[in-house]
Amino acid sequence: MGEVRKDINTSDINWDEMSDDQLEVMERKIASKYMKIFPLGIIIWGFANTFIWLSLWPLVLMNILPLWIAFPIAVLNVCLAYLPSHDAQHSIIARKGHKLRWLNELLGHVSLIPFVAPFRYLRYTHFEHHNNANDPELDPDFDVHAKNRAEFFKKIILRKQPGQGAQKDRYIDALIRTNKTHVMKEAIIMRVAYMLILYVLAWSGYALEAALLWWVPMQVANIYIPYYLSWKPHHPGSEMGRYKDTNAFKSLLGNIGSSGMQYHVIHHLYPRIPLMHTPAAFRELRPILIRKGCDLRGL
Amino acid sequence: MIGKVIGLVFSPIIFSIAFIAPLIAQSLTALNISFTDVPNILIGLVIGGCLGLMAHFRGSWIWVK
Repeated sequence: MGEVRKDINTSDINWDEMSDDQLEVMERKIASKYMKIFPLGIIIWGFANTFIWLSLWPLVLMNILPLWIAFPIAVLNVCLAYLPSHDAQHSIIARKGHKLRWLNELLGHVSLIPFVAPFRYLRYTHFEHHNNANDPELDPDFDVHAKNRAEFFKKIILRKQPGQGAQKDRYIDALIRTNKTHVMKEAIIMRVAYMLILYVLAWSGYALEAALLWWVPMQVANIYIPYYLSWKPHHPGSEMGRYKDTNAFKSLLGNIGSSGMQYHVIHHLYPRIPLMHTPAAFRELRPILIRKGCDLRGL
Repeated sequence: MIGKVIGLVFSPIIFSIAFIAPLIAQSLTALNISFTDVPNILIGLVIGGCLGLMAHFRGSWIWVK
């Protein structure tokens, strides 16, 4: 391995003079700096988001908050529910054996309540996505691949129809492959509970509330999340490999509007960098990523 | 047995009767739309039921597959 400066002031480095080995060492050194940051922001985000969404129910049912105001808040809540759990899936808050491990796991479970998704089910299938990104056979998220935006939307709507089940099969296949089928029970129980709650609410006179606080937000989130978290950063999805399976991109909605996914390439290279620090890590790692052949799309 | 019950919970016909029908009825009521002699829940059940049957037999809520 080549020699690398101990300080990480990258502004006076002539990147073109560095060998591949030196670039690699520098890349890891920069990344490790960000991996050590405690992700307080995402912890607050996860718990606050679920708390706000849960609060909408009594506020609306007791006529304190009008449903038309609660509805867009609920859409935001459900769309924002996945990412805190995503950081927890990668044990970014605390690894196994750490004294705050309970907080990592609690965040993972609690943040997903509005999105009605089981934490461990998502964690195991997500690891398979990381291990096999863009692999047509093994990537559980491969079904979202589409040649353009219009095809993506068509695909995502059609796959939600009762006669379609390809996406579910890929997830189940991933769990069977990794011997984690026990978590399928959690997924089934959560989904059945969700449907029964909707039914009971609807026949108790709260169908509009159930639709606008949960069911419609779920439909929006089930398009928004795959679009920004799966399709966009992996499009066109034809290449595999460390520096090839994920791209940077400039979103029309900006980095916040795209849930921080403009810099998803950093996440695939270093999954333990907290989501909120991927922009800073990207800016610092950018010269290296260019030299490694990453597609940064002008970002 | 459990599999069949779970399948029922997710079936389009049950979804349309258990959720879509009351949703249509309560939406009509919220919009002050009512038809004399025909309760809104009956309208919800007819529209929801038709949608559910279509989704069940065609495999799609939007006809297109």
